[in-house]
Amino acid sequence: VIRPFGESALLVETGSSEHAQALAARLRTDLVAGLVAGVPGLESLLVELDPSADVDGVRSALERLLSEPLLLAADGRLRILPVVYDGPDLAGVATLTGLAKAEVVARHAATELHVLFDGFAPGFAYLGELPVELRVPRLDTPRTRTPAGSVAIAGAMSGIYPAPLPGGWRVIGRTPATLFDPHRDPPAYLLPGDRVRFEPIDTGAWDGRAGPPDDW
Amino acid sequence: VSLEIVEPGALASVQDPFGRPGWRHLGVPVGGAADSWNARLANRLVGNPDDAALLEITLGGAVTATYAAAWMALTGGLRAMAGGIELPANEAWRLRPGATVRIEAGGGARGYLAVGGGVVVEHVLGSASTDLRTGFGGLEGRALRAGDRLTVGATTGRPARWIGSHPTGPIRIVPGPHPEQIAALEATWTVAVEADRTGVRLDGPRLGGGEVPSMGLPLGAIQVPPDGRPIVMLADRPVTGGYRVPACVIGADIWRIAQLRTGDEVRFASVRVEEARRANASTDEELAALEPLETAEDDELGWAGSHE
Repeated sequence: VIRPFGESALLVETGSSEHAQALAARLRTDLVAGLVAGVPGLESLLVELDPSADVDGVRSALERLLSEPLLLAADGRLRILPVVYDGPDLAGVATLTGLAKAEVVARHAATELHVLFDGFAPGFAYLGELPVELRVPRLDTPRTRTPAGSVAIAGAMSGIYPAPLPGGWRVIGRTPATLFDPHRDPPAYLLPGDRVRFEPIDTGAWDGRAGPPDDW
Repeated sequence: VSLEIVEPGALASVQDPFGRPGWRHLGVPVGGAADSWNARLANRLVGNPDDAALLEITLGGAVTATYAAAWMALTGGLRAMAGGIELPANEAWRLRPGATVRIEAGGGARGYLAVGGGVVVEHVLGSASTDLRTGFGGLEGRALRAGDRLTVGATTGRPARWIGSHPTGPIRIVPGPHPEQIAALEATWTVAVEADRTGVRLDGPRLGGGEVPSMGLPLGAIQVPPDGRPIVMLADRPVTGGYRVPACVIGADIWRIAQLRTGDEVRFASVRVEEARRANASTDEELAALEPLETAEDDELGWAGSHE
């Protein structure tokens, strides 16, 4: 389904983040006249048009592309992120899930997650999907400031705050790794399609793992 | 030429009119001037290219000084004073070295102070704009402070005066991806306390809001969270959002949203997409309604040369 989104954008509902990323990749190589940018979301791709673009023309070009099979990206690189699991919401998550704190940590660290898309803030990767037993609602009252490096969960997703930001996800740990640096290429460490695994570490190992990961 | 911030006022930062639209797939917001139209106009008035960096000043209370003769101009919703005299809006002034300009409250939220040659800062991810939330770009990734000194580039073009006009009447909207309630937006709204570079929250009739799978948000998208209070998204909006979007403010009227202050009233009216595109084109054309100013290089204007 393609929906109008204002006078100069269209929302292409792809049904999955993989298809949204694949369509975005396709549009980077098969240029559609009048189309200036694509922003992938969880189940859609926002496409923005040139002010003088022929909207119907772009729409039919997109429909043609969607009728062909999309080449889904192969699994991305494996990224291992060190985490000290001492977050302010760890106990609350244990209560909500009925699991022991150690069990919450073990399950979070045992799950290989995928970067579904980057959004919310520079370098913030939406990581999915968490096992059903780890799914908890957001905080009733979001924090006005969540520290950089906070490892958090909400619903089927996990994420890491790359900078101090307001946020409503439940913080279960923190990573010393830098996730966004506008002077690096690419500026984000976690890219759509990457696989992510969390590695529990002690606070003693913090300094040794601080900063940009070696495999950026 | 350099420019000193004597007082920053409520919030002042280095911005450019277009931000960094090419990095949204990595979560980087577009940013740039909240009122891009007035930022472009300010640049044109001092003979800069449209994309030159300038100062975005919020609500007034800012004072700047220059350290060489320079052409400057202020556009948008604030007023400029020098030596107790109000400087003309939408027109370049030539200031003599050491002259200070005081930016005071006016009819809107933001003023754009451009200087001939543009403010020179390092471009980060393709833009001079300050990302205030993550903290990069602009001057050290932060809001301007008293005592900051900014480098100014070499002047390239000729100073001018704007002789165009603005549309009046309701803010025009067109359908978003969840248009069922667009008619309910056609009401009078009051700007809430939450009005910043990210967006402007509106109080009025409660709409039926709700969550949707996170999707890319274009400029001007009107998000309605579960509490039913719409938010018009501006330059610093997150790349993606997870609330229903019944409508979008058209490109031509974004600058009017960016000039709203807490307590202001605003009315929306639905228009056809073709009308929105025509309005966008004519708003762009209005930028070119310029009249060149006389430029005798050594002849600083008397009122601008007086000190405070």
